[in-house]
Amino acid sequence: MLNTLNSLFIAAVLAGTPLLLGALGEILTEKSGNLNLGVEGMMFMGAITGLAGSYYYEQSVINGGGTPSGIVSAAIALVVSFAAGTLGALIYSFLTITLRANQNVTGLTLTIFGTGFGNFFGEYIGQQAGGYVAVSQVTKDVFGSVHIPVLSDLPVVGRLLFQYNWLVYFAIAVAVVMAWFFNRSRTGLNLRAVGEDPAAADAAGINITLYKYAATVIGGGICGIGGMYMSMVTTSGVWVHDCVSGYGWLAVALVIFATWSPARGVFVALIFGGLTIMRMYVSIPGLPAQIYDMLPYVATILVLVITSMRESKEHAQPKSCGLNYFREDR
Amino acid sequence: MKKKILSVLLCAAMAVTLAAGCGAPAAETGGSDNSGTQSGSGTSEGIPKDEIKVGFVHISDASDMGYTYNHDLGTKEMQEELGLSDDQIINKYNVPEGAECDTALRELVDAGCNIIFATSFGYEDYVREVAAEYPDVQFCHATGLQAADSGLSNFHNYFARIFEGRYLAGIAAGMKTETNKLGYVAAYPYAEVISGYTAFYLGAKSVNPDVTMDIMYTNAWNDPTVESQVAQALIERGCDVISQHSDSTAPATTAEENGVWQVGYNNDMIDAAPKASLISPRIDWGIYVTEAVQAVIDGEEIPTDWCQGYAEGAVCLSPLNTDIAAEGTQEAIDAAAEKISSGELHVFGGPLTGVTPDGEEYTVAEGDYYHEQEESSAPSWNYIVEGCNVVE
Repeated sequence: MLNTLNSLFIAAVLAGTPLLLGALGEILTEKSGNLNLGVEGMMFMGAITGLAGSYYYEQSVINGGGTPSGIVSAAIALVVSFAAGTLGALIYSFLTITLRANQNVTGLTLTIFGTGFGNFFGEYIGQQAGGYVAVSQVTKDVFGSVHIPVLSDLPVVGRLLFQYNWLVYFAIAVAVVMAWFFNRSRTGLNLRAVGEDPAAADAAGINITLYKYAATVIGGGICGIGGMYMSMVTTSGVWVHDCVSGYGWLAVALVIFATWSPARGVFVALIFGGLTIMRMYVSIPGLPAQIYDMLPYVATILVLVITSMRESKEHAQPKSCGLNYFREDR
Repeated sequence: MKKKILSVLLCAAMAVTLAAGCGAPAAETGGSDNSGTQSGSGTSEGIPKDEIKVGFVHISDASDMGYTYNHDLGTKEMQEELGLSDDQIINKYNVPEGAECDTALRELVDAGCNIIFATSFGYEDYVREVAAEYPDVQFCHATGLQAADSGLSNFHNYFARIFEGRYLAGIAAGMKTETNKLGYVAAYPYAEVISGYTAFYLGAKSVNPDVTMDIMYTNAWNDPTVESQVAQALIERGCDVISQHSDSTAPATTAEENGVWQVGYNNDMIDAAPKASLISPRIDWGIYVTEAVQAVIDGEEIPTDWCQGYAEGAVCLSPLNTDIAAEGTQEAIDAAAEKISSGELHVFGGPLTGVTPDGEEYTVAEGDYYHEQEESSAPSWNYIVEGCNVVE
């Protein structure tokens, strides 16, 4: 029993990490008053570019007669996937902030664009590489479980907390930094003001355009890293068609579930991750697997209903979210 | 007034296009009927080798390193054997089992394909529909079961007796397991899957009477994320050899990470997991694909149901991973393989009792055997035997 719980916990962490990264990116975006529904698209862009970055780096080193370094390869994947996410978010920002296009429509378009971008280049690079594209063992090792001396060898705790791949710890670090940023820093306060009431923030002398651009673009980059997790960890560095498949949308739901709080996001991602894989560990007699797989979505609806009933101002979506800001629009 | 004139004009335009639209296909069918009567039913004079076009519809692409990769190997085998150029072969990858399949098939017909292979189970309804519309194009559907009843002379099913290969691979698993518990990552509760894992289990049991097996469904043919999660869950349940009826290498890499063993499917997975993958049964699709394309070139008929097994080479095993396999595995497999080829050993031989997923019981009497894939190419063994435990 205890063993099953431990295994469930570990599987939940691994399944929840890409969701957490996607959700953190979206929280940062929404705090600036931009509702970017393109998370799925930006994750796809991060997934393929991260993999491609590692793969081309390895190829160029091997062709030059050297041996590729796993750490360099992973660093390239990280940087490139972040850059791809920012690129997607930059398109979105330009359209919604500068040209003031409708945010929902632009976000949905970005999802469609990113999905096509990922699958097209995935298939293209695969064909070029002779059927399929996969990174080499050195890179796979870097994205495997870490082994921290002493800590990882602790009984139970070591297995539960100290043997994940590095992106898990990276995601939690991002969440902690973001929580500190929103609640303890001046810039974070300004950003929240922009998201709640851009007119008031503008009057207080905050550069609305700059804040909105910066938050959306960095948020998109974090979503891109979430996508890279899917291609490098979940599918072990092999490009698999449609590998993000819906995780971006789950991440958007997770933002609501976490009530726009990065710290709460960590726990909620764990619950979400757990719900997606629970049927493999805990069987409920008579409940078909298909219904079981719906649980994360049912949970989101429940949270939406409950938070809207409580009408809590603190746990609500930033007030100007989804609306574009016109200074002259009074 | 202006509006009225406009609507009258629009109606007229619509009527004209409708007439034109109906007229064109009628003329086309007339044309094809003519060619049909000239050449006799079902067969024609054939098509010159350098003019033939071959189309494929696949559910994933070669990146699965499993099912589609393996089918692509068959395509290459055919291409080399018949000497076709690259632009005579059109592949449609990553086509879901939905309306997209219909579109893909029609695109292939439009591109001038003379023969089209659809390789996933769920394509069958679409293939049947499109085949009825284009009697001049040959449609071959893998793993399906409707061709014989459809009454269409250009619609064919093909498969191989993969259960024989699974039985032999099961021997490697049965000899290797230490916990006497096998795990099976299964796609759907369909006969094709149940037939496969039962054969695998019976193979393991033939060398290890104490063995049991846990089976968990992914409800997808190809979903590496879920496959790896299911494999992980099976390992946590104490299974130490994982096998699969799913398309990707995810179960293999998961088994390796956990220090247990794995038996693959469709492809030699030793490269993906050198410390875990013992052996894999695979289908050599090249035999059928070559035969079928050759038949179109020669203007001969393609059999409605094509099915061959281990004896003919349509089912084979990838090389055994001798570094990790139990001692004597190869000898045991060879001995059983010989008996299967000679017809002395039947995988579903009695006495054997199984229950369908709906709870219906079925018994094979001693001395008798279940005639799996003999009358039609599709598997029909749909009974879960004792020792197999489906986890839901």
